Amino acid sequence: MKRRDLLCTIGAATALALLPRDAIAAWARVASGVAPIGGLSDAHLALIGAVADTLLPRTDSPGAVDVGVPAFVNVLVSESYPPDDRKAFVAGLPVVEAQLRGRGGRPFVALSADERGDRIADIEDRGLVRRALSRLLRDGEPGRTYWKLKQLIIHGYFTSKPVGERVYQLDVVTGGFEGSVPFSPATGAAGGEGHAHA
Amino acid sequence: MRTRDEETHFDAIVVGSGITGGWAAKELTERGLRTLVLEAGGPIDPQKDFVEHVQPWEVPFRGLGDRVALERDYPIQRGCSACDEYGHKFFVKDHENPYTTPTDAPFSWFRGRQVGGRSITWSRQVYRWSDLDFEANAKDGHGNDWPIRYRDVEPWYTYVERFIGVTGAREGLAHLPDGEFLPPMEMTCVEAAARPRILKAFNGERLITIGRAAVLTQPHNGRQACHYCGPCERGCVTHSYFNSLAATLPAAERTGRLTLRPNSVVAEVLYDPRLGKVSGVRVIDALTLEETEFTSRLLFLCASAFESVRLLLNSRSTRFPEGLANSSGTLGRYVMDHHWGSGASGTMPGFMDRRTLGRRPNGVYIPRFRNVKSQHPDFLRGYGMQGGSGRSGWGRGAGLSGYGASFKQSLIDDLGSWYLYASGFGETLPHPDNRLTLDPAERDKWGIPAARIEVRWRENERAMDEDMMVAMAEMLNAAGCTDIKTHGSDHPPGHAVHEMGGARMSRTADEGVLNGWNQAWDVKNLFITDGACMASTGWQNPSMTYMALTARAASYAVEAINRGEL
Repeated sequence: MKRRDLLCTIGAATALALLPRDAIAAWARVASGVAPIGGLSDAHLALIGAVADTLLPRTDSPGAVDVGVPAFVNVLVSESYPPDDRKAFVAGLPVVEAQLRGRGGRPFVALSADERGDRIADIEDRGLVRRALSRLLRDGEPGRTYWKLKQLIIHGYFTSKPVGERVYQLDVVTGGFEGSVPFSPATGAAGGEGHAHA
Repeated sequence: MRTRDEETHFDAIVVGSGITGGWAAKELTERGLRTLVLEAGGPIDPQKDFVEHVQPWEVPFRGLGDRVALERDYPIQRGCSACDEYGHKFFVKDHENPYTTPTDAPFSWFRGRQVGGRSITWSRQVYRWSDLDFEANAKDGHGNDWPIRYRDVEPWYTYVERFIGVTGAREGLAHLPDGEFLPPMEMTCVEAAARPRILKAFNGERLITIGRAAVLTQPHNGRQACHYCGPCERGCVTHSYFNSLAATLPAAERTGRLTLRPNSVVAEVLYDPRLGKVSGVRVIDALTLEETEFTSRLLFLCASAFESVRLLLNSRSTRFPEGLANSSGTLGRYVMDHHWGSGASGTMPGFMDRRTLGRRPNGVYIPRFRNVKSQHPDFLRGYGMQGGSGRSGWGRGAGLSGYGASFKQSLIDDLGSWYLYASGFGETLPHPDNRLTLDPAERDKWGIPAARIEVRWRENERAMDEDMMVAMAEMLNAAGCTDIKTHGSDHPPGHAVHEMGGARMSRTADEGVLNGWNQAWDVKNLFITDGACMASTGWQNPSMTYMALTARAASYAVEAINRGEL
């Protein structure tokens, strides 16, 4: 599959008519790539892009950057987050950046793909230990911004149109429900996430 | 359907167009009455307003919501899971619809003002009561004895089920009577495996069955079968789950006797002391604030439990200085909600070569097993549990270590392990101090005095919550689950969205507001058929009982008119 087939090309959607004006404006900014006013800085976005590309790189399916995850994170944090949460997230990004620096203090964005992977593995391993300790100590959670960022990157990736539609097929309506059908990694998870509850 | 009709006199007026208002409209018009339905909210066009097929990439925050806007406009409503980025339009704006509570007794009042009311966003679970429930107050002395029993309501349950369409499985339980079911939805492989294990471990007393839901599993009464897209709470363009927009209001419209008036906020019920009857209602136009009086021979209040009680409290006269139809002094007292949310979840090993296909808009149900045959030492009454199962999907990635191509591919290709969970809905004991009054100062956008709500959980509810966790963990263990975690509920009252009581039925005029036909003791042409009429909560989702009581009351009222009694 060619990359251009996978890139996010958001066109007119029927849903657009259903949204209030503010929502349409925010939606349009994600679609156009125009940054929200007072949004994250270029340096923040470069870091988020580098982390996103390391977590979910382009393979035979699009990568997180291909489907506009940094722009989604920018709009979400800048326009949906209440001020205190936004402030905490933005304040946490330099901490993440410092934790992800390579040898000699080289910035994460300047590292090779392999080096970035090593740094991610390191921060995640250490973060998990810290998280376990913090639960024991009933303390704040060091590394919270990194894990929040990872959550947003994964959410932004799987709910993007190219991935949701063509890779994970979230939009498929089966017309019926079967409680037990064969599954294997070869057949993939396409067709929905498989929850069943009221 | 006529709207904005200039005519102001009707045979009957129905306040509210939700689950019970739609039923009242259908029954009254089909029995020959020219009926005006007054809805406080605006009209809904399913083709434009329903958003069940909107995909996450079609909304700006991909389903995570505009938190700033939700906290500004819906600070209370957003506590309901259906008040999200897609469906918040079906909830009221809190600043326009204030109410107050004591600071130490919060109450979450989730409300929907639009044609269709909360029948658009409801969870569609429908269960019959039995005499275990109708006799409960009389047996343990909490609350008053219901003036009706199962035999009084049974034919009306059947009547309602045949019209709305209910999917479910027959289980033969005396305390959860079977109904007229459409084919049941399938259980997942995990739920099906858990069922015999739980039955065996608890000698048949604990049962996991598929939920009984007002969702069509086959075409029914001109409505299409469910296509399993999933989020019913956002509407359904195929009318496959029951709501008044899809079923009862169109039925009423077909009679040619329905006038539906949206944006009509009822401020007061008008009482004629000369006749000793209500004469109509005073309505404020929600958009223009213009006031109009509408008159009728018959009035049905179906505005939702707390709105109907508030309306009666706001309708004072020399004859009824403490609220209309309140000679008993019980109006506003004994209000209730189910206490819900405590339970447990676990991981079901195995089944990694199986998945579900489609999104089932229904869960599994564990009918009440406490205080059915023997008395539990810690609490009275009982609870049912509702839950579901599935595989964790890509969302699990947020808590996993990993990166790169293999990490990404594992989230795409694999679904993760199976989970199984359930949480309880518990019966709340009627208590006179759980009460709705009028706030002395607060008013809504239309200048109408706001409600003050004081509801507290007490010892019996807390003890039941504890048991929900332990009992569910026991069942998950018996089912073979691992990594079992209990969850206690910190939901304040209101979160089950099952407000009940405040104008309860009673055997005598001095202990309640309504007789056994939902008719006000004090005012013969006034009927209240929403949740306000309930003298206890039962443990089942209440909407089925509201619908049956509404149809029954409408039949009685029209017969009474025909006999010249009203």
